[in-house]
Amino acid sequence: MTADFATMLSAVFPEIGLVVLMVVVLGLDLLWRDERVRRLGWITAAGCLFLVVLSLVFALPPAEPLLIWGGMLRLDAAGFVFRIVFLLGAALTALFSLGQDDLQKHGEYYGLMLVSTLGMSLMASAADLIMLYLAIELTSIPLYVLAGFRFRDDKSVEAGIKYLLFGAMTSAVMLYGLSLLYGFSGTTQIAELAEQIDRHSVPVSLLVISLVLVLVGFGFKVSAVPFHFWAPDVYEGAPTPVAGYLSTASKAAGFAVLMRVILTGFWAVTPIWMDLIAGLAIVSMTVGNLLALTQTNIKRLLAYSSIAQAGYILVGVAAGTSFGMSGAVYYLMAYLLTNLVAFGVVSVVGQRVGSDDLSAYAGLSRRAPAVALILLISMLSLGGIPPFAGFVGKVLVFAAAVEAGRWWLALIGVINSIVALYYYLIVLKSAYLLRSEDEQKPLQLMAGWRVALLVCVTGVLVLGVVIAPWFEWAGKAGWALSIY
Amino acid sequence: MMMPLAYYVGLSAIMFVLGIIGVLVRRNALVVFMSLELMFNAANLLFVAFSAYFQLLTGQIFVFFVMTVAAAEVAVGLALMVEIFRTKHSIDLDQMSEMKG
Amino acid sequence: MLADWLYIGIFLIISLFLPSVALIVAGILGPKKPNPVKNSTYECGVETFGESLTQFKVQYYLYALVFLVFDVEAIFLYPWAVAYQVQTVFYVVEAIIFVLILLFALWYAWRKGALEWV
Repeated sequence: MTADFATMLSAVFPEIGLVVLMVVVLGLDLLWRDERVRRLGWITAAGCLFLVVLSLVFALPPAEPLLIWGGMLRLDAAGFVFRIVFLLGAALTALFSLGQDDLQKHGEYYGLMLVSTLGMSLMASAADLIMLYLAIELTSIPLYVLAGFRFRDDKSVEAGIKYLLFGAMTSAVMLYGLSLLYGFSGTTQIAELAEQIDRHSVPVSLLVISLVLVLVGFGFKVSAVPFHFWAPDVYEGAPTPVAGYLSTASKAAGFAVLMRVILTGFWAVTPIWMDLIAGLAIVSMTVGNLLALTQTNIKRLLAYSSIAQAGYILVGVAAGTSFGMSGAVYYLMAYLLTNLVAFGVVSVVGQRVGSDDLSAYAGLSRRAPAVALILLISMLSLGGIPPFAGFVGKVLVFAAAVEAGRWWLALIGVINSIVALYYYLIVLKSAYLLRSEDEQKPLQLMAGWRVALLVCVTGVLVLGVVIAPWFEWAGKAGWALSIY
Repeated sequence: MMMPLAYYVGLSAIMFVLGIIGVLVRRNALVVFMSLELMFNAANLLFVAFSAYFQLLTGQIFVFFVMTVAAAEVAVGLALMVEIFRTKHSIDLDQMSEMKG
Repeated sequence: MLADWLYIGIFLIISLFLPSVALIVAGILGPKKPNPVKNSTYECGVETFGESLTQFKVQYYLYALVFLVFDVEAIFLYPWAVAYQVQTVFYVVEAIIFVLILLFALWYAWRKGALEWV
């Protein structure tokens, strides 16, 4: 199906809006050059929320997926849902970045964040290998800069360069896989790949080689084991809001393309990729959780936790069914809010206490009961305890695995979730049980942080209690991903 | 008369493997970058070769984009390296170990 | 086909042969009377002073990086220019938007002081 020009234009309104917003933010940064630049965080957040509204009005997906802009993009529910997820993530991250003068006083910080969001949004709707590759790089390159943004801080620069080297290497490997795919099929259209590969009768072994190469790139983006080495160092060194953004939105974008490409492009080798993904899921869950157990720096702990979470989401993908994809999408929505709020608390404590060590959380429940409660909710949600969002996500992906006859995968997932509870509870232990001498000093929260924390926590509760409307959207997205 | 496709594929595979070995073995960040470029160009060569083979332009368009993206990536990488060189006076990757655990 | 390769091979052999013969013959026929001045490292012009590995200003890299990005972006205008015959207004507008974005970036770099030599 093709669309007329007006439909195509309105479908990319949110993306155009992101570019305009970026130009506005950068322009204001140049024109103001004084104290007023601190408002840019609010402007970015408000702009992103406005773009959410814009995409609800103009870019609603049609009942049938539609190829637009010469087959470069696909207008469907998956792209729509993910776009809203990314925009929300960017808005919340912008709010968490307030108050950190080395970040918020530079307009390019928000500009880069918006460019990266634009890239993610395009990643989620890419229907062509060229668009896919460009979108992935458009997401990654600003994130490399953001990770190294505190350029006077050795750790931050090191995080940036490590992220860049890992990212560039995996993207080169992925590009090689894409070039092989192009060679097998003679097309760059993802939807036509499977058919053309079938027509050219490409040997399975060659196809598997390109599958593995492509999976390296996607595995890096979702930080699955064994492509996870960058994650702990980068999360630790990068500014905390950026780390939160990396672990949520960037990961969600990676999953969006992963599901899109393997479901349609590698249709011919479905059993093989299902096994590969299942293997990735098992090692990611296990390695992530085991390494998280011994961490004392909360950012590293959350990094290993996010590796394990990628494993749970991969369980849903490994099911290979439309239901599995829906579960993964729901999980990603829940995970975005949960992990953003966790990193939000880390950012708040890091700002006010000046340390990311677990010991900095001692006495938190007395210094800032609300923040401690928010931390409690986010940790329990990450651990998969009802009635929080993370629980629903876990139930959905494990149910999908069982339904697809991979009960052992679900079993390993459940065992891992129990192990994971241990280290989430350690964080809570230092926040609630340990005492410190600073207990009398309350933590001062900025208005922006309050808003962001409140939005996230509300979201975690809503996604955990009122499931139907969100699952309907996740279901539509999952369905759109699994047909072509 | 055209060279057979297999030659291009073979050459690009060699370039790609050399690039990977370079990235994994060399410790100087600049050399690692060069090896990365080799990997990108291996993929580019494949794209162009297949593009000629299929008589399609898409592969060549892809190469255009890959080249610009690689330039942007290198620009960011060099900027970060200048920054790290300021404090450490070295761009040896083994010395980048502020964080462990 | 094969004949073409043969020519390349012949050229290769000749181009390796001639310079090496010249070097070897000079080595055999030339008189050898070494003295310290002759053996010292030879360089044209005046004698060097200071370190030969001087540091460049970081500003220099900044120029180079900005140049690199803008230079490569110009690639996209070539296919556009080649297809000039078949273009509609839409393509022209697209190219103008592209150039405007680049101009904005240039303005940004300028205002941020990336183009100033301090």
